[in-house]
Parts: sequence; structure tokens; C-alpha cells
Amino acid sequence: MASEALVQLFHVYKQYAGEGPALADATLEVGRGEFVFLTGPSGAGKSTLLKLIFCAEPATSGQLLVFGRNVAKILPRHVPPLRRAIGVVFQDFKLLPHRTVAENVAVPLEVRGLAPRDVARKVAVVLRSVGLELKAGKFPLSLSGGEQQRVAVARALVGDPALLLADEPTGNLDPDRTVEVMDLIEAANARGTTVVVATHDRSLLERYQRRVIALESGRVISDGDAFRRRAGS
Amino acid sequence: MVLRPLSFVRRALEAMARGPFMTAVAVGTLFVALFTTGLFAAVLGGAERLLAAWAGDVQISVYLRPDADLPAAARAAAQLAGGREVQAVPPAEALRRLRASLGPEAAVLDGVSADVLPASVEVRAPGISLAQARALAARLQAVPGAADVDFGNAWLERVEVLLRRLRWAGLALFGVLALATAVLVSNTLRLGVYARRDEIEIMKLVGATDAWVEAPFLVEGVLQGLLGGALAVAALLGLHALLAPRLAAAVGVAAPLARAEVVPPALVLALVGGGAALGLAASALAVGRFLRKP
Ligand SMILES: Nc1ncnc2c1ncn2[C@@H]1O[C@H](COP(=O)(O)OP(=O)(O)OP(=O)(O)O)[C@@H](O)[C@H]1O
Ligand SMILES: [Mg+2]
Repeated sequence: MASEALVQLFHVYKQYAGEGPALADATLEVGRGEFVFLTGPSGAGKSTLLKLIFCAEPATSGQLLVFGRNVAKILPRHVPPLRRAIGVVFQDFKLLPHRTVAENVAVPLEVRGLAPRDVARKVAVVLRSVGLELKAGKFPLSLSGGEQQRVAVARALVGDPALLLADEPTGNLDPDRTVEVMDLIEAANARGTTVVVATHDRSLLERYQRRVIALESGRVISDGDAFRRRAGS
Repeated sequence: MVLRPLSFVRRALEAMARGPFMTAVAVGTLFVALFTTGLFAAVLGGAERLLAAWAGDVQISVYLRPDADLPAAARAAAQLAGGREVQAVPPAEALRRLRASLGPEAAVLDGVSADVLPASVEVRAPGISLAQARALAARLQAVPGAADVDFGNAWLERVEVLLRRLRWAGLALFGVLALATAVLVSNTLRLGVYARRDEIEIMKLVGATDAWVEAPFLVEGVLQGLLGGALAVAALLGLHALLAPRLAAAVGVAAPLARAEVVPPALVLALVGGGAALGLAASALAVGRFLRKP
């Protein structure tokens, strides 16, 4: 691939205390503008890999470059600017229960020190794009799981990140909603955002013909379109 | 990154409104410490001022031996007292004063000869401090024929010693209170930080700096300190309004008990400013420990 790499892993290991390795000898590369699925059974290390990329967890060993920066040795003060360039849809959403939908979506912008007027405008735009403009004043716990998921996607996209990491972004959605959310993510990708989607939903991999990185027990067992051939065999 | 101080204040106020119980506990703790300290300072200050008002009337009597020469003693006293008002009191005058002070009971003195009372020299020293009065009394021992020097308000001396001890006790009390308050408030605020750990985690995950997370907590600490200090001042003023008139009536002097004397602007400033500083220190301690723990 000619394009520059946004994420590079070289022999990355991640070992949580008292466990087997969650990631073992992971080597891979995600280029700018790519759309990549990360798949594998539960416990394979998908979430762990994403956490390493946005510095929520440190790698145990190996080299990990994000935007060309070696995050294995990143200084704490360099983490916030890095995270502002990354939008994350968390597997457990991580919405603030005591803040409204609009306030939740506004957090990444407030953290950047944007003026309240600009925050309000951008939040309104992104909420309309996920079809939640009427729920702006509601609290997350009063929404359905699928609606909460879309709030999480809206928050990840509101800052126009260079890199979007989505951890099971369709895990709670019915098929129609799944398509809607995936369309949002594809649209972001079309605008230039590099996308990594972790999912164990095979139908997703089959519907969207994209590069697939498969993990098992923390190891990269296939990369490229190999997954489809394996799944089909 | 642009820092928006107003947004920090807004976030601090929101947090306080969202956790009214925690806010009340923190403000209450600060209030108790500041009020106790303020009360102590006010009472001590008031007592000192009252003492000064009484001591202002200091009159030193030099009682003479029967064989002493009164005019000579008066001259010597005038010299020793450095130009203060000196009055020679012969026994007859002393008896007359005694009669006057006894009023209708004066009849018991009928037939008493003036000679039973000693002659004395009185030195009036308005507006001198107790320490000065004591020094002057000591010098007046040198008056020829002096049997005894008495500056009347001997009990004031004991009060002064007591006050001095109280001032030390007050200082120690304040030190202990400030420390205890800082720890207590910091623990309370730590609960508040802990209650908002999810929020802090999420903010950091979407790119907030430590400073951005920390700022509202510091603002909150300062606001709570200001509030605690203001409440302490209000309580002191209320207490003063309640007690000062009665106290003034009881001791017969009102001026030293005026509000501006007992709760002077400096004390108000110290309580409110001290509250803010205490709140800031406590919240910095609380949130700093939380953010910088691994
Ligand atoms: N914070 C943690 N502490 C200890 N072990 C952890 C932690 N997070 C994950 N693990 C372990 O690491 C391994 C990989 O977990 P991870 O969450 O990355 O898997 P996953 O592929 O995202 O699974 P799922 O599809 O269920 O989300 C698992 O064995 C898990 O138990
Ligand atoms: Mg996961």
C-alpha cells in the first residue's frame, strides 16, 4: 500500500496481571484512509488492541506507532492531543448518565476548548446525522440500547477525527439500525477518516467487503480477505 | 488549547448542584473550622479591648508608713511618674472618701480617728497599658516612706496572664483545626472526585488534559471555602448582634464591643480568604492524588 501508515504494530504483546497474553506478537499496519474490520471470538483481544492504540492501556512489549508517534514510550502530556485526533465508540458506550444526549456528544469538543456556540452547532449537525435530533435533551438511560449506541457513534464522530476506532458499534442494533450506523461510519471513511471496526458479527464482514484482520487468543491469524475464504470453506 | 475560565466555574457549579450533599458536608466542615477560629479570635480580641478600656483608668496608690512625710513623698512620686497627675491624700481626705463611698452606712465610722488610715499618694495614668502600669508601680516603690504600692486592678493582671495563655491556646487550636479541616475537607472532596471518576475517565479518554479535568474541582474547592468563610462571618455577626448589647450592659462599656471592633474587616477578610485557601488546598490535594495515581 502506497499510503502512509496511521497505525503500526511490531511484535506487540499485552499481558494483563495474572492472565495469559491478551495480545501476542501482533504485527500489523493500518494505512491512512483505510477501513478495516478487526474480528475474532470473544476474548480474542480486539478491545485490547484498540485500547493500546488510544493509549488506554500500555503495551507490555513491542513497538506501537500511532500517527507515526511511538506510543509505547509516550509521555503523559502527549496523550490528550493524540486522543483528540481519535474518535472512539466504546463497547460499553461510556456515556455520562447525568448528562443529556447533547451534553454527552459535546464533551470531546468542550475538552478542546471550543466556544459554546460552535459546540452547539456541531452537536446539532452530528445528532441530525445519526437521527437523534429529537432526543438531544434526553438522558442516556431513558434511551434504547440502539439509541445509546448511536449517541456513542455521534460523540466519536463529532470532532471529525483522523482515526475512528469502533468497538462493536452495531452490537446492540437490529439489522436496519446496523445498516444506518455502518452507513455513518462509511460516510466518515469517505470523508477521509481512517476506520477500524472491531466486531464478531460475520454478517457485517460479508456485507461490507473490506479488509479483515482476524485475532484469536491474542494472535493475528489472518489479515486481508483471508477471513472470507476461511469462513466460506 | 483555549482555556475558558467561565466554563470551569459553570462546571464547578453544576457539579455542586448535582452533589448537594457532598457540597453541604464540605461547606459545613469548612464553616465549623472557620467559625470556631473566628469566634475564638473575636472573643479574645473583645476581651483584650475590654481589658484595655478598664486598664485605661489605671490609678496607682502609694500607701505611706505613718511616719512618712506626705509632701516629700508626693514630690518624689511626681518625679518618678514623669509628669503624670499626682495627688497627695492625707488621712483626713482618705476618711472623707471612705465616708462618701459608704453613703448611709457612714455612721459606722463615727468616732474613728483619721489616723487609722494611712496617708497615700495617688498617681493617675490614663491610657497606659497594664505592662506600663506595672513598671510604673515598681518605680514608685522608691518613694520615700512607701509601705505598699497598689495599682488597684490587680485582678486585671491575672486576666492578662489568662489572655496571654488563651492567645497561645488559640494559635494552637487554629493550627490543629486548619490541619484537621484540610484533611477532612480533602477527604470529603476525594469522595466527590471518586463519585465522578467515570466522568473523569471519559473526559480523559476523549482527550481532556489533567489541568482541564482538575480546574473545576479547584474552582469548586475555592467556592466552597468562600461559602464556608462567608457563613462563618455571618454567624459571627449574628452572634455579635445577639450578645453584644447584653454584654455591654453587663460590663458598662459599649465602645470596645462595637461590631467593627469585635468582628473587624481584617477578621472577615482572614476568614473568607482563609476559607478559600483551605478549600483550594484541600481540593488540590484530593484531585491531585486521584489524577496522578497510576
Ligand atoms: N482490564 C483487564 N484486566 C485483566 N484482563 C483483561 C482486561 N481486559 C481484558 N482482559 C482479558 O484479555 C483478553 C482479551 O480481552 P478483550 O476485551 O481484548 O477481548 P475482545 O476480543 O474484545 O472480546 P469481546 O468480543 O468479548 O469484546 C481476555 O482474556 C480478557 O479476559
Ligand atoms: Mg471487546
